[in-house]
Amino acid sequence: MNRWRSWSAVAVIGTLAVTGCGRGDGGGDSAPSGGAAIDETPATGEVTIWAMGNEGEVLDQLATKFEAENPDATINVTAVPWESAHDRLATSIAGGETPDISMLGTTWVGEFAATGALEPTPAGLVEESSFFPGSWGTAVVDDVAYGVPWYVDTRVMFYRTDMADAAGVQAPATWEEYKTFAKALQSQGADVGVSLPPGGFDSWQYLAPLVWQQGGDIMNEDGTEFTFETPQWKEALEYYASFFEEGISDPVRLETGEIEQKFISGEVGSFFSGPFHVGLLKDQGGEEFNDKFGVAMVPGADSRTSFTGGGNLAVFKDSQNRDASWKFVRWLSQPETQIEWYGISTTLPSVQAAYEDPTFSKDPYLSVFAEQLGDSKAPPAIPTWAQVSAVIDQEIEKVTRGDTTVDEALSTIQTQAESIGTGL
Amino acid sequence: MAITPGAAVHSATAGRSRRPRTGEASRAWVYVVLAAGMVAMIFPFVWMILGSFKTTEEIRQYPLNFWPLEPTLANYTALFVRLDFANFFVNSLVVAVFVTAGNIVFSSMVGYALAKLDFAGKKVLFVLVLGTLMVPGVVTFVPLFVLTANLGLVNSYPGLILPFLIAPLGVFLMRQFMLGLPDELIEAARIDGASEWRIFLRVIMPLCGPAVATLTILTFLASWNNFLWPLVVATSEDRYTLPVALALYSVGQNAAQYGLMMAGAFVVVLPILIIFVLLQKYFVQGIALTGIK
Repeated sequence: MNRWRSWSAVAVIGTLAVTGCGRGDGGGDSAPSGGAAIDETPATGEVTIWAMGNEGEVLDQLATKFEAENPDATINVTAVPWESAHDRLATSIAGGETPDISMLGTTWVGEFAATGALEPTPAGLVEESSFFPGSWGTAVVDDVAYGVPWYVDTRVMFYRTDMADAAGVQAPATWEEYKTFAKALQSQGADVGVSLPPGGFDSWQYLAPLVWQQGGDIMNEDGTEFTFETPQWKEALEYYASFFEEGISDPVRLETGEIEQKFISGEVGSFFSGPFHVGLLKDQGGEEFNDKFGVAMVPGADSRTSFTGGGNLAVFKDSQNRDASWKFVRWLSQPETQIEWYGISTTLPSVQAAYEDPTFSKDPYLSVFAEQLGDSKAPPAIPTWAQVSAVIDQEIEKVTRGDTTVDEALSTIQTQAESIGTGL
Repeated sequence: MAITPGAAVHSATAGRSRRPRTGEASRAWVYVVLAAGMVAMIFPFVWMILGSFKTTEEIRQYPLNFWPLEPTLANYTALFVRLDFANFFVNSLVVAVFVTAGNIVFSSMVGYALAKLDFAGKKVLFVLVLGTLMVPGVVTFVPLFVLTANLGLVNSYPGLILPFLIAPLGVFLMRQFMLGLPDELIEAARIDGASEWRIFLRVIMPLCGPAVATLTILTFLASWNNFLWPLVVATSEDRYTLPVALALYSVGQNAAQYGLMMAGAFVVVLPILIIFVLLQKYFVQGIALTGIK
């Protein structure tokens, strides 16, 4: 994995260097604005869109419908492997070989927007308030929106309902109940009450919600300073580490593929994951497992905030067919299209109105995700977030292994984050 | 793994020189250790190949079956019909064949010049070639892509092939090998009136079999496995090579279809296995001669 990290670092440096001297037209000193508004006439011409992984494989099915509504438009979908998709985009931006539209991981927006390759969302294209606020925030860098959220992902608690019932406990709503709950699952035979990553890639996604739940945050209000040395972070990290100290969680990182097996066998009593795990568990657990697990909103303190991620759609400045590109993006973010897209791809809609559809409101799992999305938050959209979060991951591991204290870890994170900077 | 059998061989020969009578016994032990090593190495491949003929349900079944109960070609049908692997396979093959051919031609030409011809600045040139060997690919990646993009070669076969037609490692390998060939051969040919081209093609190249075999395997393997360059240069799916396609289809809806994944992996590995089996004799010889891996 380290190799890919260094690849992306190099690729990004290259990007910045090249765009720095090559793209004089990138907005200049004035704040970038969205350019001309997009009208309601049918789209025409060819549009190339890059989409990652499964989304890339099945987007064709949806694009055909757009083509039927806009007979003069052709959508070329290119499926890009998730692995190194980030590097591919960075290199393409450097070489000026970008597609018209690309799907972006929500945490990449800040970095790519900083290269000046993305076009700000035209005014009036979509209604900001129709998206989940946490999700819309992922598209906004320095008060300018680049593209729109396409689908969302959030973490909820997956737990063994049969064990919880046997122990006479209910899904926890507060931090106090959370530990009692996890210990109760252990009393029913689970080795691990709740599976949490003791460190490594993206562990911060499990820690940051604990901070948000107490009203803390990663950066201050105006996004200028990191706020790791605050009581909320201290409380959160101490609380997180206590799960390992008290033996509720194993200091072993379980990846997708292992975790559902251990959950089905009963070794793991609960864990946090996204909507795709519902399908995986139903698939692998078989009929009789279906009523042995449930999902619930994450437990909380002042709030029950969870992490949100997902995919955004962005249009590149170099697009040869800007109008049609934005029209396709607008069409993809209509509630009806998003409901249909869920049917094809099983990714959750980013538009709130879509959840009024019975597909979501009547489903025992999806309705929980919908509720959780109302209270979920994304990390700050800063270009350097990948580097800063890597420091957090590393310090979490040191704390859970007992190599350092909570205070020292937070002071290291703060110092290193400050020296990395926000990149804006 | 590589250390265990090697160490065993070493101690076995040492043991034999001291206690000649136990030679047979130690030899038997060497075979046992080597056989165990071989099984450990080969078993995952065998499991993969057998798995590619099983249904996903059968692979997931517990207890495990070694042999496929109901052998099926469904995985391969899905791979080639639904996922269009034939196209990716052809792309990979075209790129690897041209890259390998280019390396054989150009590396041996440069290697020959550096080994056997006298010209001003030869040493400097050789040091420069060695110097480029020290530059990691990541450093030149983005500039190389910008160059390719400016030449309008993005999403084309030339874009996938041209940057790799010659590599410093190949030049080094050919030069080291050719240094070992006697100068007298070249002088004799020259006295007989052969042109420089003729000397290179008819006298030198026929003697370079092991080096060319080594170069072929190394280059073919590197090109076949290359991931990041084809990922970036091939902007549309019809130009994807196998590793890119495999990365694309091994997540998402296909990820849980283990049989399909194993079939895909087998298709990717197969040409390399064939090349290695065909050239293995020369390969070992070539590596031993040049002293590099």
